[in-house]
Amino acid sequence: MDFSVVNQALSSKSFHKMADICDALMLQSAAEGVPFRHEWPFVLHLLAHIYVDDVNSARFLWKSIPATIKESQPELVAAWKIGQKLWTRDYAGVYEAIRGFDWTQQTQLLVAAFSELYTTRMFALLQSAYSTISIQDAAQFLGMNEEDATNYVLQQGWTVDPTSRMLTVTKQAIVKEQKLDPGKLQRLTEYVFHLEH
Amino acid sequence: MEGLVTQIQGLSGTASDVLSLQNLLKQADDSLHAESTRLPPFLDQLDPSKHSLGYLYFLEACTAGPVTQEQASSFVLTIARFISSCVAEQIRLAPDKFISVCKRFKDQVLLLEEPLRGVAPMLTAIRKLQLSSEHLTALHPEFLLLCLLSKCYKTALSILDEDIFEVDQPRDLFLYCYYGGMISIGQKQFRKALELLHNVVTAPMSTVNAIAVEAFKKYILVSLIHHGQFPTNLPKYASSGAQRNLKTLCQPYVELASSYSNGKIADLETYVEANKDKFESDNNLGLVKQAVSSMYKRNIQRLTQTYLTLSLQDIANRVQLNSPKEAEMHVLQMIKDGEIYATINQKDGMVRFLEDPEQYKTCEMIERIGSSIQRLMTVSKKLNVMDELMSCDPLYLAKAGRERQRFDFDDFDNVPPRYNI
Repeated sequence: MDFSVVNQALSSKSFHKMADICDALMLQSAAEGVPFRHEWPFVLHLLAHIYVDDVNSARFLWKSIPATIKESQPELVAAWKIGQKLWTRDYAGVYEAIRGFDWTQQTQLLVAAFSELYTTRMFALLQSAYSTISIQDAAQFLGMNEEDATNYVLQQGWTVDPTSRMLTVTKQAIVKEQKLDPGKLQRLTEYVFHLEH
Repeated sequence: MEGLVTQIQGLSGTASDVLSLQNLLKQADDSLHAESTRLPPFLDQLDPSKHSLGYLYFLEACTAGPVTQEQASSFVLTIARFISSCVAEQIRLAPDKFISVCKRFKDQVLLLEEPLRGVAPMLTAIRKLQLSSEHLTALHPEFLLLCLLSKCYKTALSILDEDIFEVDQPRDLFLYCYYGGMISIGQKQFRKALELLHNVVTAPMSTVNAIAVEAFKKYILVSLIHHGQFPTNLPKYASSGAQRNLKTLCQPYVELASSYSNGKIADLETYVEANKDKFESDNNLGLVKQAVSSMYKRNIQRLTQTYLTLSLQDIANRVQLNSPKEAEMHVLQMIKDGEIYATINQKDGMVRFLEDPEQYKTCEMIERIGSSIQRLMTVSKKLNVMDELMSCDPLYLAKAGRERQRFDFDDFDNVPPRYNI
């Protein structure tokens, strides 16, 4: 089977496109009646869904994989463990699942990229949801030890109180575009015309 | 037979030739069906990408009879290839035959227990049969069914995102919206699921049908999950049959909804446990459980209406969670999903509830409002066109004429008291 499209996406680091590429290729192969399942890169497919935070599709893909394949590919089971932790919202558990397996070279690319993305997402979540948080919890959410976690957040502008082991969140002000351009005037004219008739 | 093949090969070039070919094929249809077992070798002499109409007639006759397991696999492949290479303009001349072939394709794919094989071809078939993306065909529900069975929910969403304005057969709409509702539920898109299920339960129906009953059950549950409440009555535009009968036919669900509205999670869980078998036999137990866990969210949301700040311990007590840590995790999840605006202060163990920070001043928001207005304007124009068409419809005028007495004299001045055609 020709997986060049998938490999290309992987080597060009277009990880966010991989889920759609894999889905389309799978449907195409199935339509041709080719028995593709024993060759199919389910690990990459699963991780591709996880990368774009589509845990639902990852779950459905897992359910559709035959049991024999699940049993013969421990890497696949390990990849699903990440999905499971995301599904049950075991935020710290995700990191354990990422680190708990010796991934093959190809898979490692995708897993490492996801790990970085996930940490960034977790940090954004902490920033939006907390005003103060313990160093211990922050470390769990970010998948780092307490010292690294503290340094990471200090670099992002947070402050630390060493005695109480508490971090204070500093939100970055996000400036959103507010200027209007004249093209909108045409649209407003259309609305008024529509309302008048 | 050979003569027919030659004619197909000769007359598939131009549009007018194809129309004459169609007449010949219609006349030959009965004999094709009579000799269906002899036909498969002739298919090889025809090119589906050039002789689509002729190929379709032959294919439809071939597949009309019972199909064995061995034949199923080769037929599935033949039909899939036909669908991908046929010419849309030609097959649209014989839509019923095309639909029959595709439905048999679906049946055979299911016989082989390989629903995934049918997904891509069925999608292609829809695109070729449709006159526009607003047109609902008989193949839409078949496609959604294949997606459901093969768990390709994401692929189904691309079709569900399209607005439908034209429907061939009412039954297609019922099934399409019901399956669509199930797929949206699977992807946790509850707003869309609610919209689709709403269409099923409020669609015109002279008698309540089984699809509407099952849809109503899910409708209640999704309503609880998405809105935290269930309206006790269907809107006035729902059919009278639906308004009278649906609730009685879905009694356990209606009672679940009223237990939910009392806000006590322990009572709700007891009710669910007691009626577990009924929910399970309807395949709705998972959805019921989602409804139950949505209650925590509802109760926390209610707190924001009364309090500016609250301790995590207080939240845990009021919402009947086991610990402040659990409360913290619930609030965190709700912040992540955008269901609440709040910040957690671990140092003091408090949560501060905030106002929606959206000021509606950004360019992004203006784009969103702008595109919503555009959509509304399009719908409004379409409604005007439909209104005009209906005002000229004889059946409508007859009914309006008959019921004239009920309305104001001025409204129907132009309609004679008895309107006979």
